[in-house]
Amino acid sequence: MINRQGEHHLPVPQWAVLGFCLLLAFTIASCRQFDASDYLRIGLIAEPKTLHVWLASDRNSRKILSLIYQPLYTRDPVTLEQVPWLAADKPVYDPENISYTIKLRPARWSDGSEVTSDDVAFTGQLIKSFKIPRRYSRWKFIKKIATPDKRTVVFYLKSPQAIFTTRTLTTPIVPRKQWQPIAEAARKKEKPLAALLNHPIYHPLGCGPFVLKEWRQGTYLHLRKNPYFFGSHTKIAGRVLGPYINDLLFKIYGTSDVAILALKKGTIDMFWWPLQPGYIKDLSKDPHIQLFINQKSALYFMGFNLRRPPFNDVKLRQALATIIDKKFITHRILQGQGVPMYSIVPAENRFWCCDTVARYGDGLSRENRIKKAYKILTGAGYTWDVPPVDSDGNVGPARGLRLPDGNLMDRFTILTPPADYDPLRAMSGMMIQQWFRAMGMPAYARPMAFGALLNKIKTEHDFDTFILGYGNLSLDPDYVRVFFYSKNDKPRGWNMSGYHNSDFDKIARASRSAMIPTERQKLIYRMQELVIAAVPYLPLYKPSVIEAVRNERFTGWVNMLEGIGNIWSFCEVKPVTAD
Amino acid sequence: MPVTSAENTFSAYRSSRFHFLERLKSGWLVYRENLLGRIGLVLLACFACMAAGSFIPPLIDPIYHPMSGVDPLISYSTGPSLRHWLGTDFIGRDIFSQLLTGARIAFIVGVSSAFMSIVVGTIVGMVAGYAGGTTDTILMRAADVVMVMPTLLVILILAALFGQLSIWIIVLLIALFRWPAVARVIRSQTLSLKRRPFVDAARVTGASCFRIIFRHIMPNVLPLALLYMTFRVTSAILIEAALAFLGFGDPGTVSWGMMLQWVWKTGHMFQAPYWLLPPGICISLITLSFYMVGRAMDEVLDPRLRKEKALE
Repeated sequence: MINRQGEHHLPVPQWAVLGFCLLLAFTIASCRQFDASDYLRIGLIAEPKTLHVWLASDRNSRKILSLIYQPLYTRDPVTLEQVPWLAADKPVYDPENISYTIKLRPARWSDGSEVTSDDVAFTGQLIKSFKIPRRYSRWKFIKKIATPDKRTVVFYLKSPQAIFTTRTLTTPIVPRKQWQPIAEAARKKEKPLAALLNHPIYHPLGCGPFVLKEWRQGTYLHLRKNPYFFGSHTKIAGRVLGPYINDLLFKIYGTSDVAILALKKGTIDMFWWPLQPGYIKDLSKDPHIQLFINQKSALYFMGFNLRRPPFNDVKLRQALATIIDKKFITHRILQGQGVPMYSIVPAENRFWCCDTVARYGDGLSRENRIKKAYKILTGAGYTWDVPPVDSDGNVGPARGLRLPDGNLMDRFTILTPPADYDPLRAMSGMMIQQWFRAMGMPAYARPMAFGALLNKIKTEHDFDTFILGYGNLSLDPDYVRVFFYSKNDKPRGWNMSGYHNSDFDKIARASRSAMIPTERQKLIYRMQELVIAAVPYLPLYKPSVIEAVRNERFTGWVNMLEGIGNIWSFCEVKPVTAD
Repeated sequence: MPVTSAENTFSAYRSSRFHFLERLKSGWLVYRENLLGRIGLVLLACFACMAAGSFIPPLIDPIYHPMSGVDPLISYSTGPSLRHWLGTDFIGRDIFSQLLTGARIAFIVGVSSAFMSIVVGTIVGMVAGYAGGTTDTILMRAADVVMVMPTLLVILILAALFGQLSIWIIVLLIALFRWPAVARVIRSQTLSLKRRPFVDAARVTGASCFRIIFRHIMPNVLPLALLYMTFRVTSAILIEAALAFLGFGDPGTVSWGMMLQWVWKTGHMFQAPYWLLPPGICISLITLSFYMVGRAMDEVLDPRLRKEKALE
């Protein structure tokens, strides 16, 4: 074609065809199937929020990071005893100097450089100097960290601390070479901690079994086997570790239903999220799906605000504790996949759990619960417009509970997480509301967005009662001290109920420095008895962890407290074809 | 014999009442010719019976209480049986009782929020149309602002901010977001009516604006407002169901949306059709019935929509 200027040009349709072909080629190239045939494909319920080890507080970030950064010690999956992990042996305690000496295994970071005692010391100094949230309380009692050689690290403590081995030594270790420049830059900023926590980490350098290969936000996260992993072909806790799989591919699914459909279809090999009991029946019909049900180290409880009336009355709290039918909750709402809790420490933690605490209303029928609660309340001066128990001892719906001062009880709320976050807690709140109403109490269950709920309870202390849960509770029972220590009753403090008891505080302080386990056990028992008698928290239940995997491609999942998604599993899972 | 003023008033009242009954009768004659309208009315009658009957099961046995009643022999989801006609949910509560209660909640939410939005929309529309000028501009711009807000999204955000909302707050919020369309239609009708001779006549006899609007204009726009009410009911029911399904409904209320949320969140979506389908079907049918009634009423109010009868 010749234009007005007499220049030769390709006709327009040819340009269009060429452009279209290029566009088509580009589209096809970018849409090609990701070849993940030999990958272990794992479904997550939500995307990790960060790969910053000090910032990560959500479960999915922690899952990924637990495969990259490693601690000195971890728990044996069977005995739950602490076993050396990055450390070569058990810590050696020197009571004279109040010091612990730890030897490290020969280990390398994922870039091939050596893991040294200097990295361990640096991690401790970093946590202490920046007062990193959630970590600092476990390190602040350390006076000095010495590194006599590159495989030996000595921790000098200000005073004996029972939690040092269980809590401090399970902190993930980070490499100095990656974190020192970040820390130095952060120190120069006006807000060093914020600068440290806001520093983006795109390629975390760890010494764990896997290393980050690629993270396409919103699509997938790909981890590759770390060739320098210290545990490879090594026997730890009687297990020869791998990893025996080269790649992990994490896919993000917004809801359990979609993830379970993907699991049934074979799009993923494992769904790393606890399932609702309702899925069990359906999944157990599929021969290619294997279900794992494990115990959880958790505490799901009802908390009362002791700072405001009428919940500052221990008799009222005891009566409320009597009305609540924990077995109904575990049997029906949890569908038998959980157990009632009576103490703050889960019963599976046999050494620390005190089983002599008061068991309000345990074993009683609904009518007898109401009668017992009625007796407690009338004894404390409470009256009703229409009492729940009439003069003949018959139980009926009550109306108008009046406080000992004669005033009608004001309506109060039971704050719970919303049903889309945890349907079981939301439903438990609903049933508890009905039980309280049967006693003439104007109770209203109020599910609330989790962030707003925590803000109301932990920061503003603006609540009557609430239902919350702690998952992944440490096996060390120091949390009993933390949850109820008077000084922790402050905005954002752990003592959310506002429990104050000088006797408890005294015992709690003693428990922290008790180095002989049996002595500490007595103190922890006493603390549990005091707490359950005062009922700032009423332990409700502990759900089981139900998980599902496909069994035709990979095998070797390791059952453990908290489920099969643990470091041992990822070091032992093998393709089915390879023996 | 001279006619007294009291007799005059009485005869005017009687004639207006007869006129109203006449209009109702002629409207019904047109309505009953409409097949959609008849089906819609039958469906609505069924749902009304369900709502009225929702009080009965707990009286028969406390295990049929839709929220707190559980069958002592059943602690998991089971299919239909003689004891539980639609089966039980995951903790052993009767699904049929919940379905009946859901009908009551659907009526409460639908009718009350539609009524509120119609009241607000009619008043705003009449005032804007009659007053004109700045008042009209301000009211209509306000309506525009509210109209462009995505109702469900705004209520979801409010629920997330302030915690779970009670059913009456939900009703109020739906009403607050659904009046502008009504206001616009009523305004245009008022603009036409205010130039009619009977309004001029009222004005020259010294009637106040308030009287003209509420005594002379309102009766003429009311049928249109009622027609819009049937459509508002549909959207209100759907919004409440969506909110409850997403986990932002009133947790103390057993609504159809809440039933769907329970079946979803407890992992019974693919294995308990006896639990999943009834609330879903009921939501569809009740909205359909209101829509059918609305369509038939449309025909009653607008003669242009009526089919011409074949000449014999």
